[in-house]
Amino acid sequence: MAPAVPRSGDAIFANVERVNAELFTLTYGAIVRQLLTDLEEVEEVNKQLDQMGYNIGIRLIDEFLAKSNVTRCVDFRETAEVIAKVGFKMFLGVTASVTNWDTEGTSCSLILDDNPLVDFVELPDTCQGLYYCNILSGVVRGALEMVSMKTEVTWIRDMLRGDDAFELQVKLLKQVPEEYPYKDDE
Amino acid sequence: MVREVSESCMDSLLTEIVSSYCNRFYATKPELAARRIEAIGYQVGHQLTERYTIERPRFNDHLEAIKFICKDFWFELFKKQIDNLKTNHRGTFVLQDNKFRWLSRVSVDPSVEISGAAQEPSVMSENKSAQATGLHLYFPCGIIRGALSTLGIPCAVTADISNLPACSFVIRIKV
Amino acid sequence: MIVCIAVVGHQNNPLYIQSFTEADDALKLHHIVHCSLDVVDERVNNPKKSGPMLNETFLGLLYPTENYKVYGYLTNTKVKFILVTTDLDVRDADVRNFFRRFHSAYLDAVSNPFHVPGKKITSKTFAERVSNIVKSVSFHTTG
Repeated sequence: MAPAVPRSGDAIFANVERVNAELFTLTYGAIVRQLLTDLEEVEEVNKQLDQMGYNIGIRLIDEFLAKSNVTRCVDFRETAEVIAKVGFKMFLGVTASVTNWDTEGTSCSLILDDNPLVDFVELPDTCQGLYYCNILSGVVRGALEMVSMKTEVTWIRDMLRGDDAFELQVKLLKQVPEEYPYKDDE
Repeated sequence: MVREVSESCMDSLLTEIVSSYCNRFYATKPELAARRIEAIGYQVGHQLTERYTIERPRFNDHLEAIKFICKDFWFELFKKQIDNLKTNHRGTFVLQDNKFRWLSRVSVDPSVEISGAAQEPSVMSENKSAQATGLHLYFPCGIIRGALSTLGIPCAVTADISNLPACSFVIRIKV
Repeated sequence: MIVCIAVVGHQNNPLYIQSFTEADDALKLHHIVHCSLDVVDERVNNPKKSGPMLNETFLGLLYPTENYKVYGYLTNTKVKFILVTTDLDVRDADVRNFFRRFHSAYLDAVSNPFHVPGKKITSKTFAERVSNIVKSVSFHTTG
């Protein structure tokens, strides 16, 4: 059987079931607002959003692998590109760019100029420590963990805090070698 | 063009709302968890109604507002309308969706524990899954209540899933 | 010239009020806005008087004073917009257009998850957008 050809983020997004982004954006906003009321501490809200994202990431990876036909990425560099161009696109409908590589190729930044999570959002002065989009960092961390990459994901820039883009730094901590029952390479 | 995201994003959020509130924050207080999830839905319903009623003449009465929920509002959310609307003409409306999307797609977490009176084990397992399904309905109930309240109609909304995969939302207007 | 714009909640609670004149006018303008709310209620509760405009969000001219004209708009969600202008000969179409743009700005402001329904709109983005809309509008004076 010939290996399936990896599909582009655009092609997958065009074919998945989609919903009005307003519903998604407002639901996420209502969750953040409710968490702030219930958990009180901004730090705790950041932590819980990250946790929710992590739980989502470990589930979404299956759909991602199934729909993208991505088999196995050669290295972390290729993985980052695939997340940015295919992963973000097929779920959120936007692509990220990858920059700021360190010399070892174990740390880079995902940059989002357009982010559907923050449409309409204006942070109040009382929430300055809030990483509003922290669910995204959790998703990336959770998804990568399922393909044996332990990462640390942190926000470097945040448009809600006045920066000119969203920048998510992804640092590879440890790569657990996987045992595959078959050889992926052609 | 209308901005869209993949439906999986929305499903993931719904699953996480339920599991965070029922398993982590209020694991021992299911009524509180339910109220919080409903509140999240209420805010969404309120905001969506502000958005979806722009450039639309004002509704004359309750029935017109309910019909708006059944048709345009439901369509924006689920790309289909409510299948059946019943009323007793005394302030109670029953909206039935024959295949409610958020029940057919959202994975119901069987690990969700509901504390309650001890029951026969066999009954319990069946009830557990029904209860877990029920947890996923506080959010849409909140959306409907938020939408109607915003239109000036205070009400209570509950869901009935005795007829899965159909789901009925029962609206009782407060007089 | 638009001298005042206000957003009022369904229990006649002020959500936003901004005047665009010298400070000493503010009190008088607030009073005008306040009085106009009764006119809106009367219009809506006595639909016969409003005739063909029944249920339309745009309520038209609420009442003229010596120096101002006051226009009203009522959303489906029972929120009132009140516009006070010194232009005395204004085309309805221009006022409708103003309210349409104002309504969009309002929608985005109340879609902010941190906005509490029924509470004052404190968004800076909203204030800027409103001020831009007001600046860009010139009601054509016919005649």
